[in-house]
Amino acid sequence: MNIIQKHICRCLIQKCNSGNVPLSFVPARQATVLNWLLDKHRKSQLSQQPEKEDDIEQETIMVPRDYKYLYPEFLPPANYRHRDRIREKLERQDMFCRRTMIEVPEFYVGSILAVNVADTYAPSKNTRFVGLCISRENDGLRTNFILRNHIDGNGIEIKYDMYSPLLQSIEVLKLEKRLDDELFYLRDCPPEYSTIQFDMEPIHLPTGSAVPLNTIKVPLGPRPWDKKWDIKNFKGLQPSNRVLGKRAAIRLERSAKPWEEHDLMKQYRENINDEDVETVLKEVVLKTKKKSTKSQRRQ
Amino acid sequence: MASRSPLVCASNCLQNILFRDAFTISRVLTCYQPVRYRKRSSRHPEWFVRRRVKSFDEGLTQENKQFIKDLTVEQYKNKPSPLKEEPLERGEWDLRTRRTGVLALKIGVIPQWRKDGTKIETTLLQIIDNHVIRYSPPEKFAQSAGWKPWWGRKYGSVVVGALSCEPHLFSKEYNNLFTEAGVPPKRKMTRFLVSPNAAIQPGLPLTAMHFRVGDYIDAQAKTIDYGFQGVVKRHGMKGGPASHGGTKWHRRMGGTGGGGNMAGIWKGKKMPGHMGADWNFAKGLRILRINTKYNVLYVTGTTPGGNHCYVRIMDTCLPNRRREIQNEPPMPTFYPEDVTDQIQEEYIDETLFDFKEPSIEYIDEESNK
Repeated sequence: MNIIQKHICRCLIQKCNSGNVPLSFVPARQATVLNWLLDKHRKSQLSQQPEKEDDIEQETIMVPRDYKYLYPEFLPPANYRHRDRIREKLERQDMFCRRTMIEVPEFYVGSILAVNVADTYAPSKNTRFVGLCISRENDGLRTNFILRNHIDGNGIEIKYDMYSPLLQSIEVLKLEKRLDDELFYLRDCPPEYSTIQFDMEPIHLPTGSAVPLNTIKVPLGPRPWDKKWDIKNFKGLQPSNRVLGKRAAIRLERSAKPWEEHDLMKQYRENINDEDVETVLKEVVLKTKKKSTKSQRRQ
Repeated sequence: MASRSPLVCASNCLQNILFRDAFTISRVLTCYQPVRYRKRSSRHPEWFVRRRVKSFDEGLTQENKQFIKDLTVEQYKNKPSPLKEEPLERGEWDLRTRRTGVLALKIGVIPQWRKDGTKIETTLLQIIDNHVIRYSPPEKFAQSAGWKPWWGRKYGSVVVGALSCEPHLFSKEYNNLFTEAGVPPKRKMTRFLVSPNAAIQPGLPLTAMHFRVGDYIDAQAKTIDYGFQGVVKRHGMKGGPASHGGTKWHRRMGGTGGGGNMAGIWKGKKMPGHMGADWNFAKGLRILRINTKYNVLYVTGTTPGGNHCYVRIMDTCLPNRRREIQNEPPMPTFYPEDVTDQIQEEYIDETLFDFKEPSIEYIDEESNK
């Protein structure tokens, strides 16, 4: 069995999770239960308490197109081995409960945030940190984001769990996007590109405007660097003065992958199917009707 | 088996009615006792019952298939349940009792927070459609195939099944194992040792309410199968250097023994081989949260095995944890008649943060004074 056949098998299993598609192949013998088989058992009439079907699946709710990017942490991971319908549902319930207590605003990598956290070691039992969001990772209750700032000659990065009960408030001071999904290269850039004043006043956007894209190109500082940023093909970095050797030049060539946006198989592998996205986002629309202040601005 | 008459062999129903306590009916008794050496063989044990039959295409239409499905559901609903007979006496709990366990499925690992703000990992275990299928008292259990002499006559055995299926998937012999309990055939079964005061009636459903919030449990499951692995992954040996002249010496084992008097490779030397797919315990896990709607337990830490693997859950055997129990657990299992008020959808431990509450704030005690 070559790699492509194996891959097709995996995709078929993934597809079978949602509907009653008959399996045309026999999967390898394993100690675990497959997703589609488990769901069949949960709903089967032979069981003691058969699970009732969700009302949300039958309801006709229009999901706004940008909700996929507004609430990325509600979408489960694409790997079917880590997925489970009930676990995702229970996890989402907790997330909605937490969102009623604290307002989680719309923000992206590149936005400037101010976060209040309960802290036993602070004299006032509460600390406020302002910084630039340089990454946003994971999904579900595991979601976290990193804020970076430059204070007293030191670069400081703090990672926050978005659904931690210690978070008191999240405030967006400046809403914008950057050219890259991760801004870890700011560690080796001059400090003025990651210094933000703590008394910065929030900048409000006019109603109905789109999220602005910051097209700034940052220069790299002197070497040594944390990583070889100049051969990783970042869009938000200025080309460095370093003279590339033979090996580095080859790596720079390899890191540019212009075909990836046309790679349908890669997109399929890294995203869950559209039916699952809809069922998740319908729930999000219903639960977040009341306090969608920012999303109203964009509609 | 040789003395079986051909008439009896022809109809399995007759077997069940006439020779229930004789040798003809096979008893599913599996041994999960961990051993020092690996027990892997392609031969089945004596008590094994052939589970699957060779499937063949009957050429049924979709409507006919649906009709058969509906018929089986109706049959099992109207089947006379053994629970309507006189129930067994319910014993009283003491420190030495062993209750039955349940057979759950691991459905994932998610973080939760304590009330003091610390983050912990919890494993979610769902109990789907569990039923007691057979109980054998100690005297009867001692005669069966799976019994070990060092257990003595202290324990009886309980067979628990999970995930009910349609009977036409399995062989007649396998389906007949479930006639005593009056439930549809199960996809998976396990056996638990129980003390005589925790005797339990076949046919009883087991739910998440078998345990309480704050209880300590042991979870037993098969670890992830890694196949044949080298010494670096299997035993965590160091291997060799990546550079500095290391030729063909990156992930190797090193020396296997000394010379002289004790020369040769000793028994039990750590070497490459099969890794994983082995029974393993996680003991003393605390139940932090119970969801009764979906029958899900939230348990501290992680249990062995991958996602969607079967997990055997039982009361913990750790003596210090057992002594912490203040109220008696439900004996032999939870009956809905015992509780006067309605069962809540969710039970949460005192130490665990409830997401419906407002966020945690530390109080400055010095300034209050």
